[in-house]
This record gives sequence, structure tokens and C-alpha cells, in this order.
Amino acid sequence: MDFDFSEDQIMIKDAARKFLEKECPKDMVRKLKEDKLGYDPLMWQKMADLGWMGLILPEEYGGTGLAYMDLVVLMEEMGRNLLPAPFFPTVALCALPILEYGSAEQKEKILSEIANGEKVYTLALTEGSATYEASGIELCVYLEGDDYLLSGTKLFVPYAHAADYLLVVGRTSQKGNPEEGVTVFIVDAKSPGIDTEVIPTAAHDRQCEVRFDRVKVPRENVLGEVNKGWDIVEFILQRGAVLKCAEMLGGTEAVLEMTNNYAKERIQFDKPIGSFQAIQHKLAQMLIEVEGLRYLTYEAAWHINAGIPSKLLISMAKTKANEVYQRTCLDGVKIHGAVGFTEELDLSLYFIRTKSSEFSLGDGGFHRERIACELEQLQPLFIGNCL
Amino acid sequence: MDFKFGEKEEQLRREIREFAKEELPPGWLAAMLEEENSDEDWGFAMTMSGKLAEKGWLTMSWPVEYGGKGASLWEQLAYSEEAAYWGIPGVGMGIGGVDWVGPSLMMFGSEELKKKHLPLIASGKPDGVWCTAYSEPNAGSDFANIRTSAIREKDEYIINGQKIWTSAAHRARWCWLAVRTDLNAPKKHQGISVIIVDMKSKGVTVRPLINYAGYHIFNEVFFDDVRVPSTNLVGKENNGWYQLMHSLGFERGSVAGRGCGYNRRILDELVQYAKENHLFREKEIRHKLADMAVLIETQRILACETIWKMSKGSNPVYEPSRDKVFNDQIAERLAIIGTGILGMYSQMDPLQRKSKWTKLKGCVEALYWLFPGIAIAAGTDEVEMNIIGQFGLKLPKSY
Repeated sequence: MDFDFSEDQIMIKDAARKFLEKECPKDMVRKLKEDKLGYDPLMWQKMADLGWMGLILPEEYGGTGLAYMDLVVLMEEMGRNLLPAPFFPTVALCALPILEYGSAEQKEKILSEIANGEKVYTLALTEGSATYEASGIELCVYLEGDDYLLSGTKLFVPYAHAADYLLVVGRTSQKGNPEEGVTVFIVDAKSPGIDTEVIPTAAHDRQCEVRFDRVKVPRENVLGEVNKGWDIVEFILQRGAVLKCAEMLGGTEAVLEMTNNYAKERIQFDKPIGSFQAIQHKLAQMLIEVEGLRYLTYEAAWHINAGIPSKLLISMAKTKANEVYQRTCLDGVKIHGAVGFTEELDLSLYFIRTKSSEFSLGDGGFHRERIACELEQLQPLFIGNCL
Repeated sequence: MDFKFGEKEEQLRREIREFAKEELPPGWLAAMLEEENSDEDWGFAMTMSGKLAEKGWLTMSWPVEYGGKGASLWEQLAYSEEAAYWGIPGVGMGIGGVDWVGPSLMMFGSEELKKKHLPLIASGKPDGVWCTAYSEPNAGSDFANIRTSAIREKDEYIINGQKIWTSAAHRARWCWLAVRTDLNAPKKHQGISVIIVDMKSKGVTVRPLINYAGYHIFNEVFFDDVRVPSTNLVGKENNGWYQLMHSLGFERGSVAGRGCGYNRRILDELVQYAKENHLFREKEIRHKLADMAVLIETQRILACETIWKMSKGSNPVYEPSRDKVFNDQIAERLAIIGTGILGMYSQMDPLQRKSKWTKLKGCVEALYWLFPGIAIAAGTDEVEMNIIGQFGLKLPKSY
């Protein structure tokens, strides 16, 4: 066992922190909240120049060829700084599955464009059911000549308004389990019949409704195999959930840090409020939870990195992240007192994102169910003690 | 980063599982903290201590010269986890022999004390069993308030006073005793020392304190003019507070590995019980068990992080408190969720483990009735939270 960061990871961490502190201070985060696009394309280009979008893409596609764990480290810094940009949808939700399931031509074209910052991608998965169950995929797909026609509505699609391409998950067969008969398409966002509307979320984090009206998609734009798309969704759920955990971890670390600093500085009854046990014990509990989340996230990530992804650990990490991010923000707000209720406090920017992070790639109920399924299948050690 | 145990640790786990299979009665499921309660359980625990000593596991991380194997901290963690999972009794040599008396002696004890006591503990025999006497009626969380005195008279100390909540005093041969050696010290943390007392000494009286569920775990211990050779002083006179903070660190540090092994066992038992009794279909129960699994895995990985820091040569200050308080919180939730799953059967007397109405050998009831004791021992949750606040978050002292 070893909990140390590698030299690469320390470099990534430091560089990301410096860059984001300089290029994306909190007034920038606030400004972008009101901005039409919701991110700064200039900053996006600089991120690409730093090699972030291609961090774990192979060098042949213009990437740096680093490992999943390194991306986790970068995501943690982005979460700590609340970077508003379509990085998560482009890299976590699209580049990773394309690298895994894309054809040689798809990878050649798409991954290079992602690595150099030219194109923004996103995933159009969820529909009106607002779940991550395969049964929720109803978007109709028909084959007409050499093209597929897509009709239906996708919800909570991050940055769809700014995306050049969408990975769209559609239903290509009604037979069998809901998991069978799902296909993933690579769709040009400018295709006729696509209509995008930004959903007014509390976080202003640019999630969209995307309506598809007989949108034509050429056959060669299928990602992976027809009717086998749920495997890709599962891949995205696993790889993406842990990256989301890393982002949330960064957020909780920042919130704990600012709240702890405030508890040392804020004087009441002639003492720092952090010297009162009611406050101090809350902060101590926050520390226990944040550290627990940190290592659970790294553990799940390390298993993915080592090529032995554990569905159990991944769902554990996301369950934990959902709980800890919310708890840390709520207690952080309360410890700040009335100023915690204001927009001017940076903490509010983290708090306002609790729900969008929680429901991104699975809430607690969804992941608890997955954990329970794994527990159900595991043979406990004490039965037979055959090991 | 690397989140896998090495082959050495995995091999050790296999050996312990094999040992558990061979040496424990079929279907064995231990209740935590219980072994000192009945003569029968204690006798079995001592037999197992002897067998663990023969295997070289009992004090595996100690240097060879003191009866150990020089095993790594990682092997020690794997052993603690496995021994607790399988419920192997007798791992502690009473309260503290293995976990903190030995390590503290190695740090502060004279050569004579080390040579005498470390091999005794490592032998797994009754003469190596300890109790630890810190608390007094007016010195609980405010430990430095102790009044039991040890007054030097030539080459002896004369001890007078009363200790309370002394677990396993009725089983121990030796007492790891915190005393006041300087009655006039300007501050209460000064003037404290650690002394070893033979429990067979004249003037030592042990009086049982019975727990609400009928367990005899802890005791009152009275010292009336007990004469102890001055060579039984551990470390320096009046340096006790500093030494005791180390002992308490060892004690808290021993909680995590054992805790996560045992909690994991109870969780596995509850999952199996729920499956066999058609309860696992119920979403509420499934999700509660899933939550427990998350907590226990978090506990395991935090315990690993503490060990990792130690293995890198650093001396973790708040981490043992973090791991201890987290274990207390998990034990409490597990006890409440577990009794909820057993339903009406959880009302059974935990001491009637062989009753035909008792489920899972009473281990869930035992956990429910005993977890407050686990949470209070080695420092209440509130005391641990103070340590985390002060040393983990650098907040001002809060008491």
C-alpha cells in the first residue's frame, strides 16, 4: 500500500492550482455564472495548451498519455476551484468512452480535436424519467436508408448549448431487457432537427434540454456496436462517477478549509468561535468525512487505473461523495452564521452546486442499490472459510 | 499510489484463516469485549493466546529479542483485521499487554523491565496478562486529575488510592498504573508517573463493577499501602503524562484494524441473515446495509492511511483519534441497524448466547449493549473530537 502521489501527480496538482487561482478566481466564477456561454473559450484554449483535455489520451491523438489516476488528481483541483467549463462532459463523459469503444477513424478524428481544445463534446443520456436506469432510454431510433433518424428529448445534458458534438444514447430495439437494445450515436450538434434549451438550474451550470426531431445520423457514427450501447453507458457511469467524486472531493476540501479558517478568525464572546466545542466538533466530524471521502475516491480510482475496476468501490465512493459534499457545505454555511446565507461568501458557490453534483451519474439511492446488488452476490468469507 | 496489500500480507491472511478454521469451534462467532466476563470464555481465550504465541503472531511486530517477529506494520494490520473478523479471542493479553504496555515499555522502560515483561506478554501465558488503571472517581476525561499516590521510600514506592473502570483487573497479573509521584507539582499534568504493580501484591483489592447487561468486564481497584520496588517505575519519575499520551496513542491506534475486521464480520453476518430470511429484498434494509458497507470500507482505508503514515516514519497525532471515533460511530450504527434487522429476536439476553431463540450467537445484541463501552474506553468521543480539532485542524483548545 502506498498513499503517495507520484511526481507527475504532484506536478499536475501544483500547476492546476496555480493556473486556476490565476485564471479562474472566484469573481471569474461569478461572472461566468451570468455569462451566456457559461465558460471562457480563451481559458479553455489555455487549458488545452497545458495538455489538460488530452491528459490521458495517447500521444498519437495529441495527448500526453498519462493515466486515469492523474486525471483524478486534476479533477480534484478543478472541483476545489469550481472551474466552470465543459471539461467533465468533454473528457470524462465523451473522450474516455470514445477512446475505449471508438473505431480507429473515430478516435483519430475526435480525440485529436478534443485534445487540442477545438471541440466540445457532451453526453445526452438522461430523459424524462430522470434516472440512470436503462428503462429510462426511450429516444426513438429508426433506420432510413444509410442513416439513423433520432427522435426524442434528453434532459440535464451538460453544456449542450456549447457542444459541437453529442454522444446520444437511443433505443434501437424494444426486445429483451432494457439494457439490450440501446445504442450510442455520435451526433453533430448542428444537425437539422436539434433544438437546445438551457435549463435554469440553481447552480447556473448550463444543463440543457435537447430535443431531437428526426435528426439524421450516418451509420458510421454509431459508437461501438448497435444494441450494445448500455455497456458504454456503464463504462461512462463507472469512469465518470469517480471523476465526479474527485471534483466533489476538491470542493469539500475547499469548504472545510475556508470554514476552519473562519472559525479561527471570527471572534464572539471574546474568543474564536472555533474554540467552542459545538463548532469544533462539527469541524472535526467534517475532517473525518472529508479524509474518508478522499481515500475512498483514490481507492476506487486506483482500481480503475490498475485495470481492475470495482463496481462496489465506485458506488461506495459516489454514495460517500454525495453525502459528504452536502454535509460539509451545510455545516460550512451554518458555522459561518448569517454571512453563510449570502451570495458574497465564496462558500455559497460550492453549496449551490450540491444538487447538480449529487445527481450527476447517480444519487445515493441509485448507488446504494448497486452496492446492495454486489453484497447480495458476494459469498461471505465465513461460509466455508475456503480461502 | 497503490491500494493493494502485498503478497506477504495476503499469505498471512490465508494462514490466519486456516488457523481460525482449525482452532475455533465450528460456527464460532465471538462477541467483542466479552472474553474477560466468564471463566469459561477466559479460559478459552488464554488457550488461544498461547497458540497465537506459538505461531509468533501474538506480538508479531515486536523485535525478535523481545519475543516478536519484527513483522511490518502492514502485517500487523492484516493480522488485527483477520483476527477480529474470525473472532479469535486472546489477542490482547488482557487490557493492553500487547497493544500498549509492550510498545510503551520498548519506548520508555528500563532494560530490566523490558527483559522481564516483554517475553512474559509474548508467551501468551497468564503471567503476561495486564490491566490498565488510569481513571479514578474524579479523573475521567480529566485524566490529569488523578490522586492515587506513589511515595518513594528508599527502594520502594508506597501506593495509596482508588482506580475505577479497570477492565480485566480480575484476570490480570500486572497493572499498568498511572500515579501521582509529586503531590506539590505546580500543574496537575506534572508530577505524574507510570508504575507497574503485581496484582498479587498485599494491599490490592479488586471489586467487580457489573455492567447493565450483566457483564463483568470492569472493576474498582483499591491500593492500600501497596509496596512496589522502585525499579517498577516506567521511564522517568514525573514524566508520566508525556509517556501516557504515547500509550493512549498506541491504544487508540489499536482500535481501527480490529474494529474494521469485526465490523465487517457483523455486516457479513447481517447480509447473510437478511438474505436467508427474505429481508434483503426490502429496499430499506438493502440500503441500510449498503450504507454500512460504505462506512466500513471507509474505516478500513482510513486505518490503512494511518499505518501508511507510520510506515513512512511519521508519528500520527490526530489520526488514531480519528480512527477511534469513527469506529465508535460505525459500531453504534451497526448495532442499531443490526438489532433492527433481527427485530424481536434482538431482545435476547446477550449472555444467553446458546439459547434457542438467539440469532447470530448473540453477537448483534452484544454489540448493541457493549458499544457504549467501546466508545468510552481510551477516551470518549468528545475527548477524541477535541484532539482532532486541536491537532488535525489546529483549532484553539476547547476545554
